Order: sequence, then structure tokens, then C-alpha cells
Amino acid sequence: MSFRSQLLKGIMDGCVLAVIEKEAVYGYELSKKLQDIGLSDVSEGTIYPVLLRLQKNGLIRGEMKPSESGPNRKYYYLTDAGKEALETIALEWKQVFLPVHSLFQRRSNNESKATD
Amino acid sequence: MKAKQLIDENNRKRERLTKENEKYYGDMLVYIRLQLTLSEQQSEEVLMEMLDHLLEAQNEGKTAKDIFGPNPKQYADEIIENLPKEKKRQVLPFISGLALNVISYMLIIRSIVILIGSQFKEITTTVYPLTSIIVLSVILASISFGVWYIFKIIKDSLFLEKPNNKKDMIKAGIFGSVSMALIIVASKLMPEIGPSFSLSWWASLLCGCIIWIAGYGVKKIEA
Repeated sequence: MSFRSQLLKGIMDGCVLAVIEKEAVYGYELSKKLQDIGLSDVSEGTIYPVLLRLQKNGLIRGEMKPSESGPNRKYYYLTDAGKEALETIALEWKQVFLPVHSLFQRRSNNESKATD
Repeated sequence: MKAKQLIDENNRKRERLTKENEKYYGDMLVYIRLQLTLSEQQSEEVLMEMLDHLLEAQNEGKTAKDIFGPNPKQYADEIIENLPKEKKRQVLPFISGLALNVISYMLIIRSIVILIGSQFKEITTTVYPLTSIIVLSVILASISFGVWYIFKIIKDSLFLEKPNNKKDMIKAGIFGSVSMALIIVASKLMPEIGPSFSLSWWASLLCGCIIWIAGYGVKKIEA
């Protein structure tokens, strides 16, 4: 598994929760939205095992209802536990992302100085 | 929507898949449905979501491989791993219902054989419960082994480039004949042991019908 896909696998739960928090979506919509925000190399099918796991852990719940285009779709909603989990993930992401980001920033600054 | 409705809708929608996508998706569907310990409702819901997704992707010119990855078995295993276990699918009522059915059919067939046979020759109505229980166990054991074996044949036939249906049919056929032979030999050769009593044709028929109704009731609990 590439480093990139390992990273994505780790943060995928958070991404899915964040999309669902904004509005209830069904599977196909969710994968389109993830692609729209730039996660285009996530293979579309990867969301279904994630959705099942989140449901099993009570972070989201699914509900079958007619979609705008007509046929029944399973829409996903965030539960209270899901909201909490998302807060935690967002906080932990920040705690990891910011230090790593500034570390790499410093490194690229040094590099550009060295080439001067 | 109930699992049964989802299955019907799935059957209808699957016809719109291309041949290649139908093979890829169909194998995953059978593989996931064969996991009898998982929630049927949840399994059918996710299968429907995957099918809807695949149909939309198909319209955009994508294949099942693009959506679910190059390895369908691995993907299906990931789905299975995250599906909840069935709470209500009671395996016990199903199996005991089946056992009661077998017993009731044996009693009913016996009553018919005695009724018709006794017109032509003397037929003993004596039964040896211990002997019957042993023969019955052989029958039930071969049924359970048969179910397991046929599931295994189906599982092994999935996700292959070129499934060998003829070989599978021969395997199932050989199993069927061997188990039939085993049951006939067991019932013929089994010595009459233990206590015995007489059970006339009408008593046999009555018992058979009562046990059949009981088996029907037990199976209903499952639904």
C-alpha cells in the first residue's frame, strides 16, 4: 500500500463524517463529493466498508427514502456519537497536521535558502 | 424496505448491468449472501447501494473494476468484515424445523406404504424407536453435510476467470448418489434393537401431520 493510500485510509472516517455532517447523502453522492473536494484517487467503492463500520459503531445511521430523482436511496445522517467522534478526529488531525506542516515548511525554506 | 423486497428489486435492476459488470457484481453478491451469520437486512441494503452505484457508474462508462478495485474477493471480504452479525436469524429454529419436517415426511410415507402395501401382503406395523433414531440421524447428518458441501462448491466457483460448471455439477451429483446409497444401506442393514411398539397406518399419519404442523410453527418463529 502506498504512503498516500495509508494516510487516506486513516483519515477516511473523518472525511466521510464531515461530508455527512453538512447534509444527509447517499453512497453515490458521497463518493462524488469526496472527489469534488480533491480526493479523486480514492476508489469509489472504498466508502461502503467505511459506511458499514461507521453504522456498526453508531456514528451514523442510514434511512431508506425516495431520492430527488425518484428511486429509493439509503441516506446517511450523523448521530450525536458521530458528532462527538468528528470533533475528536478534527482536533487530533490539527494536533498532528500543524506540527508536521511547520516542520516540512521549515525544511522547504531551508532548501530554498541553500539554493540561493 | 424489507430484505425480500430488496432482493426482488436487486434481481430486476441487475438485468441492466453489462455482461462484464454482472459477472463481477454477481460473484460478490453470491459470496456475501452465503454468509448466513450476517444480518440479512444489512447485507441486502449494502448490496443494493453497491448496485445503484455501479449502475450510475456504468452510465459514465466506468466498469465494476474501476469502482470496487481489481480484486472482488478482497473487496467483498472487507464488506463482510464490517457487516453486523444477525441477531434475529435463528439458526436453531431453522434446523429443528427441518428435522421435524424430515420426521413428519417419514411417518406420512410410512403410513401410505403400510396402507397400500397391506392390500397385497402382510406388513408388520412394529417400530423400533432406537433403530429409527439412528437411521434418522444418518439422514440428518447427510443433509447437513450436503448443505455445507454445496455451499463450498458454490464458494469455490466464485471469482474465477473460467468457472467450471460441469465439474461442479458432477461433484454435486456424486455427493447426492453417495448419500442416497448411504441412507438406503443404513435403513436396510440397521438391526432392529431396543424396545418396540406397534404403530398402525392411521396413527402414523396422525403423528406425521401433527409433527409437520409443529415444524411449520417452529419455522414461522424465524420470520
